[in-house]
Amino acid sequence: MEYIIETENLIKQYGTATVVDNINIHVPKGKIYALLGRNGAGKTTAMKMMLQLVCPTAGTIRLFGTDYRENISKLYCKIGSIIETPGFYENLTAYENLQLLGRLRGQRKVDCIHKSLEIVGLQNERTKPFSDYSLGMKQRLGIAAAIMHEPELLILDEPINGLDPIGISEIRSFLSELSQIHGTTIFISSHVLSEIEQIADIIGVMHEGRLIEEVNIVELHKRSRRYIEFTVSDTMAAIKLLENHCQITDYLVHGNAIQVYDCTHNCGEINKIFVENGLLVTKVNLCEENLEDYFSDLIGGGGIA
Amino acid sequence: MLDLIYCELLKLKRSKMLPLSILGALATPIMMALEALQTHFKYPERIFTLNDIYDNSLLYAMLLMNIMVFAAITAYLFSREYTENTLKTILPVPIPRAGLVIGKFLTLFLWSIMLTIVTWTGSLILSGIYHVIFGLSGFYITIALQWLLKLLLGGVLMFLTISPYAFLAERSKGLVVPMITSAVMVMGSAALCNQDFGALYPWTATYFLVKGRMESTGYPISLAIAIIILVSVMGFYATFHYFKKEDLK
Repeated sequence: MEYIIETENLIKQYGTATVVDNINIHVPKGKIYALLGRNGAGKTTAMKMMLQLVCPTAGTIRLFGTDYRENISKLYCKIGSIIETPGFYENLTAYENLQLLGRLRGQRKVDCIHKSLEIVGLQNERTKPFSDYSLGMKQRLGIAAAIMHEPELLILDEPINGLDPIGISEIRSFLSELSQIHGTTIFISSHVLSEIEQIADIIGVMHEGRLIEEVNIVELHKRSRRYIEFTVSDTMAAIKLLENHCQITDYLVHGNAIQVYDCTHNCGEINKIFVENGLLVTKVNLCEENLEDYFSDLIGGGGIA
Repeated sequence: MLDLIYCELLKLKRSKMLPLSILGALATPIMMALEALQTHFKYPERIFTLNDIYDNSLLYAMLLMNIMVFAAITAYLFSREYTENTLKTILPVPIPRAGLVIGKFLTLFLWSIMLTIVTWTGSLILSGIYHVIFGLSGFYITIALQWLLKLLLGGVLMFLTISPYAFLAERSKGLVVPMITSAVMVMGSAALCNQDFGALYPWTATYFLVKGRMESTGYPISLAIAIIILVSVMGFYATFHYFKKEDLK
């Protein structure tokens, strides 16, 4: 398989603190790779190392199959990026900021600037200086800057931070389109797991500097357990009935809800037992673990801070 | 490199620092004009020459006003990438880090020279007005042009001695530290400008060199030049080295 980003035993230490610890990331060509992890897990530092903003303590980074320090100008012209909240010159407009980046890149055509501003919905904000932008507008401009030169690889750290729900949906669709139609490889980190779940092909999970899991989303869905969730009037009585009448021990209790992971039993039969024994069943759901459940299980709960 | 300078100049569009620096560079001619007016009304018999005006302008510009303004624009140019958080946007473009620093120093040089010309032009215009109203001896464009060359030489020498402020701006990621340092240096200049020892202090040695006062101090010219070059090289080296090795946290 051809990898666009490949790291080998990548380490970053600040003094005695190891913020990235021996990570081996593999991002295949044309795929969307989502890097997940709590705050301080090392995601941003890993991305910064790939973009030469931070120097690795040890390990190697290969971009497009070559060492990231070789032929830098050619290599990085194929990359677009956003790291955290994008920074632009406060006194310049969106157009001027993009013009400046294009000029630094040796890009003198203005069509791409107009096009990228249109894609992110900032085409009518050409005269407003960046200092007057809202957080969402700043983020949109960051996305415009990342895509204006039609890169083959996008490295996006929290690109949907500060966007409204419609903006998030638009960017999600745009990223999917870039990947599926144009074959752009996308390496993305985000705290919005529900959004990541909808677009990612591969999930990487970092925790305390280490990459603890790298899994294909198809594989992840196969692994995800299904369960039947009953909301009942008396959970203790319901548990007794499950154990004694149905011989079910694989369940979890969340308040008034009982999640039964043993799906070999018919939910109608279980419901009938509950009702016949005087329990009030207010809700029955057939559910599947989502990315958030998977993530919580993997790093020990608490979700992404 | 032209692209880098173009971009540095584009960054100054709508920036308040540009008009502020021009006002700062005009402070010397305005002070000279006010001083001339005050003297004229106190001692009407005293006749000023254009040489006197420019001589005083050189002193104030090199030791007081322009050096402070140069320090401020240096700090602004080198700290704004940190204060506006732009490095993570522009470095992956990619731009070589050394290229970015060179672009900034070249822009700083052009800006310094422009401000020196502003000081010279301001002095010429205000002297011209004084000449029309009260009369000024030796008001010739040839004399003004001779002083332009001296001021430009002074501007180049001042540019060489402000490189340490670039490092301070980078290191502290703001304007405060280089501005406080420049205030301290200016106080040093004020204290040493009438003493022979000033020939060994880079920020007054530049003035002594332009003014041709080195011989009277008893110190060799080569020593003063060596000290200026040493300070300059140390400033440039520290700026390049720090920026090249720095991790952007």
